[in-house]
Amino acid sequence: MTELRSPTAVLREGPRALTDEQVREIEESDLQAVLDVDIDDVIEYVHRDLKSLPDFTTLYRKYLKQRWDVYDLDFTQDKIDWTQKMTEDERQSFIAISSGFHHGERQVEIELPVFMIGASEEEKLHIAAQIEDEARHTVFFDRFYREVVGMQGDDIMGVLDASFPWVSETFVGPFGLLAYQADELRRNPYDERARVRYGTTYFLWIEGVLALSVMKVTLSYARWRGFLPAYYTGFTATCRDESRHVQGGMKYLQDAVRKDPTMINEIHDTLRTILSLAGVASRRIYFEPLGWTEDEVTVLFFQQLRRKLNDVGIDLAPDIEELLQFVQPQLAGG
Amino acid sequence: MAEPRFFSKEWADAVREALVAGPSEQAKEGKLQEYWDFYELIKSGYPASWALGCRDLPAELGEGPAYLLVQWGGGTVSGCQIIGPDDPLDATYVLRMDYADWKALHDGYDAQRTVMYRKVLLEEGSLLEFFKTIYFFVESLAIIGTVAADYPALVGS
Repeated sequence: MTELRSPTAVLREGPRALTDEQVREIEESDLQAVLDVDIDDVIEYVHRDLKSLPDFTTLYRKYLKQRWDVYDLDFTQDKIDWTQKMTEDERQSFIAISSGFHHGERQVEIELPVFMIGASEEEKLHIAAQIEDEARHTVFFDRFYREVVGMQGDDIMGVLDASFPWVSETFVGPFGLLAYQADELRRNPYDERARVRYGTTYFLWIEGVLALSVMKVTLSYARWRGFLPAYYTGFTATCRDESRHVQGGMKYLQDAVRKDPTMINEIHDTLRTILSLAGVASRRIYFEPLGWTEDEVTVLFFQQLRRKLNDVGIDLAPDIEELLQFVQPQLAGG
Repeated sequence: MAEPRFFSKEWADAVREALVAGPSEQAKEGKLQEYWDFYELIKSGYPASWALGCRDLPAELGEGPAYLLVQWGGGTVSGCQIIGPDDPLDATYVLRMDYADWKALHDGYDAQRTVMYRKVLLEEGSLLEFFKTIYFFVESLAIIGTVAADYPALVGS
């Protein structure tokens, strides 16, 4: 376990060097021990294998060792922290951010099965595992919203309905695009160009940039303040799951471009659409109660995107670099 | 005064008026000005058309599939009409919804979720180009949903 730092310290520190012991701690911790793992180490761990990406069978084997039972979490202390220790400003900021995940996890769960159809047999194993992960993450947020935040609903959709007022209007940008790209794959599941466009939205942008950036905001707050232990445990375990998803997704994109270099055009075209929307916000989110500023979250976005692209060897066209100057934080993930 | 029937010429005329007028003050509340500035920027130069279909339009409304064709140009709606199943269809983007989802939108179901949950689907046209203006489309869909109309109950529903 590393020492506690302020939530934004990692922005100034730059990339971390993980020791073998830290890697072992991240990879092998059971659910209870995840509480002691530093979220910054887990995010660093995501990038550790990007330069030499593991194959899909290795990722599947990691899944079998790392899967956790969402019903083992006990939210009793979280409820006390939420109702008695956190301020109203902290609760409002937290929920404004976490609602994007509540809905995002559901979206990435239901949009993934069609991608499996055109995948290799080994990748199918990895995607099947990922679908189960995303279902578990959906239940994690359902439990958090019911048992800690206190939102009610007859079923999963009922709780999603209750948290939807906190979801930004711009959520439809990346997640609507993913839904429509999934429909494109439903009609042509073996269209490799459509699969690369879908993979760019899902694995690079939603999971690699949005999710990992915004995960860090609520998790570093919880760790810094010593609040919400079950949320920290479950969502850090989620982040460990995401490391497999991002590595698998980056492997898919890297392989696709190596096999056919013109596939880079599909990645660029998808990023052009995403980034042309990413400069617009419909709501002002106050990060300050959680120890962040909007500028710091934006820096985190850039760090996440640049590291993914650099590590897997994807260059950006000049016009895309220009679009990047206008990116704003999109509070969502999956 | 009786409400125009869904997918009638009168309804299409009312949709046109509503889209030209843009979002209500109530709709604008709670969203940042920069979001509406982006909406206006797209609207001012939007050159495309949407054919918004109803897959299963009830027989008493003319039977489906039928389309509401919305043509944009010069910063306004330059055409808004109903296209029947036997009429030629020429639109930049062709989208389709079920009648029940059109009715749900009219009854207040969220336009963003109508897109996100694939209740309306893009069936023809460039997906990546369409999504560059998705906020404009969603807000326009929300406006269309607010236009008063008579939606007959489906037999058996």
